[in-house]
Amino acid sequence: MPVLTRDMVPGLVATGGSCRVAAEVPPKFAPGDQIQVRNINPVRHTRLPRYVRGKRGVVERDHGVFVFPDTSAHGQGEKPQHVYSVRFAARELWGADAANKDHLYIDLWDDYMERA
Amino acid sequence: MNGIHDLGGMHGLGPIRPEPDEPVFHEDWERRVFGLMVATFGGGQYNVDEFRHAIERMDPAHYLESSYYEHWLSAVETLLVEKGVLSADELAARKAELAREAA
Repeated sequence: MPVLTRDMVPGLVATGGSCRVAAEVPPKFAPGDQIQVRNINPVRHTRLPRYVRGKRGVVERDHGVFVFPDTSAHGQGEKPQHVYSVRFAARELWGADAANKDHLYIDLWDDYMERA
Repeated sequence: MNGIHDLGGMHGLGPIRPEPDEPVFHEDWERRVFGLMVATFGGGQYNVDEFRHAIERMDPAHYLESSYYEHWLSAVETLLVEKGVLSADELAARKAELAREAA
């Protein structure tokens, strides 16, 4: 069984332990790509909020490769993949009453998106 | 999981009021819960995704009524029982003991 040792504590408390993975995984998307978020409703863990499901956005930035929470939370491995900052118009998310110039940026994993 | 934790876009929860000079811990027990989490997470008992999912699985009413570190405590309890580190009976017995001490 792994044990927490004294030397591990300061780093863990300061950074919380990163989920970044040092794996070479090809990205499925690039900045500027138009995407549509998949409409999934898993009964298990996901980090895909309901309010972006099915919505269209634009990939702004590639953050690199990270553990995929949807498998990692259930002992199904890290399934490392790219995470992107994706930009959504407020009106795409909340309809015509939202402010025209407002946008929301949210981090999304490769598996949450398809090309629009 | 379409749980109570996914609050984005919900109405009626009231304004967010940032606390001036907010302390790191509001109660001393929160400090202990922080230590418990670091010790069990850092000790490899569970990963962060299992931890988040354990919070999502809290009873929805309890989730809304409890504080940030109570969410943490709930998740640590859930995971240590599920991983077989503690039994539910041991946990209940210790809670009863603490309640007797406090009375």
